[in-house]
Amino acid sequence: MSEPTALAVEEVVAGYGGVLALQSVSVTVRPATITAVLGANGAGKTTLLRAISGVVRPRQGRVLVGGQDVTGRSAEDMARGGVAHVPEGQGVIAELTVQENLRLGAFWRSGRATRAGALAEAYQRFPVLAGARNRAAGTLSGGERQMLVIARALMSRPRVLLLDEPSLGLAPKIVSQVMELTAGLRESGLTVLLVEQNARSALSIADQGIVLNLGKVVMAADAVTLAADVGLRKHYLGF
Amino acid sequence: MTLVRHLAAAVALGVLLVIISVTITPFRDYQMAEVACYVVAVAGLTTLVGLSGQISLGNGAFMAIGAYAAALLLLHLHWNLAVVLVASAVAAAAGGAVVGVAAARLRGPYLAGATLMLAVALPSLALRFGVLGGDQGLTVVVTSPGFLGSAFPVTRWQAWLTCGCALIVLVLLANLARSRVGRSWRAAGDDEVAAALAGLNVARLRVLAFVVSAACAGLAGALLAVTTSIISPDAFTLTLSIALLTGAVLGGLGTLPGAVWGSLVLVLVPTYVTDTASSHGLSSSAGSNIPVAAYGVVLIVVMLAFPNGIQGGLRRLGRPLAARLPARGLPWRRDPAPQLHVPAGEHQEEGSI
Amino acid sequence: MEEFGQLTLGGISVGMIYAAIALSLVLIWRATRILNYAQGGMAMFTTYVALLVINHTGSYWAGFVVALAAGLVLGAVIERVVIRPVENKPPLNAIIITIGLLVFLEGLAGIIYGGQFRSFPAAFSIDGLHIGSAALGISANDVFVALAVLAAALLLGAGFRYTSAGLQMRAAAFSPPVARLLGVRVGRMLTLGWALAGLIGALAGVLVSPSTFLYPNSMDSIFVLGFTAAVIGGLDSPAGAVAGGLILGVALSYVGGYLGSDLVNLFGLAALVLVLMVRPSGLFSPAATRQV
Repeated sequence: MSEPTALAVEEVVAGYGGVLALQSVSVTVRPATITAVLGANGAGKTTLLRAISGVVRPRQGRVLVGGQDVTGRSAEDMARGGVAHVPEGQGVIAELTVQENLRLGAFWRSGRATRAGALAEAYQRFPVLAGARNRAAGTLSGGERQMLVIARALMSRPRVLLLDEPSLGLAPKIVSQVMELTAGLRESGLTVLLVEQNARSALSIADQGIVLNLGKVVMAADAVTLAADVGLRKHYLGF
Repeated sequence: MTLVRHLAAAVALGVLLVIISVTITPFRDYQMAEVACYVVAVAGLTTLVGLSGQISLGNGAFMAIGAYAAALLLLHLHWNLAVVLVASAVAAAAGGAVVGVAAARLRGPYLAGATLMLAVALPSLALRFGVLGGDQGLTVVVTSPGFLGSAFPVTRWQAWLTCGCALIVLVLLANLARSRVGRSWRAAGDDEVAAALAGLNVARLRVLAFVVSAACAGLAGALLAVTTSIISPDAFTLTLSIALLTGAVLGGLGTLPGAVWGSLVLVLVPTYVTDTASSHGLSSSAGSNIPVAAYGVVLIVVMLAFPNGIQGGLRRLGRPLAARLPARGLPWRRDPAPQLHVPAGEHQEEGSI
Repeated sequence: MEEFGQLTLGGISVGMIYAAIALSLVLIWRATRILNYAQGGMAMFTTYVALLVINHTGSYWAGFVVALAAGLVLGAVIERVVIRPVENKPPLNAIIITIGLLVFLEGLAGIIYGGQFRSFPAAFSIDGLHIGSAALGISANDVFVALAVLAAALLLGAGFRYTSAGLQMRAAAFSPPVARLLGVRVGRMLTLGWALAGLIGALAGVLVSPSTFLYPNSMDSIFVLGFTAAVIGGLDSPAGAVAGGLILGVALSYVGGYLGSDLVNLFGLAALVLVLMVRPSGLFSPAATRQV
């Protein structure tokens, strides 16, 4: 039975201490699509991802994954429940090897064969990582690290993938490789929420997008409409 | 003017204490003297930890320096008592300077560990040199001064002497806390990088704080020598250093009234507990260990539940009252939590290793 | 020359005790960035438990095993109950709490068992070993001590490297937020870290008590020297902890042998201060310079 919505965020209010970063934000995401989350710095994009993955607990509102209410669950439970969050700054554990990082993606999955299979699949998909498997992850280049953390996230066979600023600090050629890779994930049935400052690249692969400003949704539409709206682009997206 | 207010409060308290000391028994006078000794030491420590943000588990060692210095000066050189007290404080202050300089670059757990080592290692020095009396220690003979009359009880003299010194030290520390030095201590303790950028010589401030707290501890040790008459290495174990810290934490780190509360508890509760224990038939070793276990419980419970200690609790109770009264002379801790703020550099190295 | 050899071997044996304490301190430091001042007190307490079992059952090894188990449990309970609330608070809170724990355990031991020095049995013979007619200066028990600590260190290292739990623990120690996002139950890993540290501390207590006798404060100077060893090796380096312990043990053995045993603590203090001033990150720590 296919669910109508892979991910739904309903009027979520969330913040840190006295500061509210999200003020009643709602998003609906269909399965096997890419949704771009856009907006300037401080708009609340990262907080939105954190509210979904369980790092930040929503003060109001609900988060539903595959129709199930998962509001308030811990990050560890969400990770094991099919929501993979690749944080801003990539989140490579530099002191561990590439292989160890990858294995961390699936250590909780039951069955040795399953885990070994996932690892083999990761090396097949990302040959660069196979070549570097015993190197300390901290020695990888920026683009390789981004590959590593996406591969690591895929190890857990997630239903929903949250990507926070994957293009940050990467050269344009690498950025397009990462975007291509992300687009390819959609073909495998993965639902992707993509936070990006680089709105142009994000919209080039996204199906729909939402624009946040100061914790509120300013606009939500399909990607083509967003990319064509010159006023919106100038005001919030920077291009 | 702050100094006038502090002096007035001290004089008023002094008169009150004199009256009390005349009416209570000699044993209570002795306890009052003990409390006053601790107040001096704890006040110095609470200034070091609460204001300048440095932890010391070795102030018992500074007390030992002061006590032995006083005993030696009285026994061998027969100096005037006032001079002896000052000299003991100076001797301990010198020790504090050495430790402060060695420790100037140490923070948090490293500083605690180094001062812990000091507390464990120093007493063995007393055993090494015969002039320090070995494990028997030194004995000091104390008599009340001639001008008080020959019938004046020694214990009352001890109470007056120690309480007088305690009041002087409290006034001095209170003024210091309000002065530029005190403010600089707080600034450097809260955020070292910002303080250094603002032009404060952080290292010198840290050493100064150590010197001040060591001087207080040394004076307290000297007073203790005069009060208890016997100094031996047993009196200055690690437990003493920890007891001082307990008193400071319990009373409320960084607050001088807290030093008084903490010292009262440190002296009165163990005696009460040991008495109760022996009246219930517990062996003396069990009874003497109950206060030790209690220190531990106090430290844990206070840190978990009441980080601001007794003084913080009183402040919370007295806030509606205080709003009506004019501002008091003794420095109240301004921010709610007497916690050591770690300089920015220390936390980020986690990912870089 | 013979004396030199004896002092060296004796120093290695004692040094392994310091290494064990240092190892447990490093374990906890890497996991929670807290220095556990109660480590020695915990070891003392579990050794008393072992003594109870030994006196009751007549079996040394029963006591040995119970001490290790007690160390595991004590470490886990302490982390969960007393340390968890202050893990994310400023360091001063944790320092005061672990000091409080130390004092509480020492007082409790005094209340329950009394303050007198008790003798604790050794696992093996304490007669000096000889090669031909030359006395080695160490006994069979000393060899056992060194080997036991070495085995524990190697097992621990292997566990960290090759098991899933070890991987999770390392992830939780290096980067707790990322580990959480990957499904690592960071809290449980911290508890496990403290439990393992408690185990190693208990081992150290049982191994050293035959020579120091057992009394509430018996682990004070051992702890302080173990802390020094950890600083020498670098608080982040388990291998450094072992190396630091050996270096310190041998160096202090020379001090004790040639200069007098009452100077040992003072030299330890001097060594600590020297290392903290010259190379605060330790000799083997990967980080080059560190604000200490």
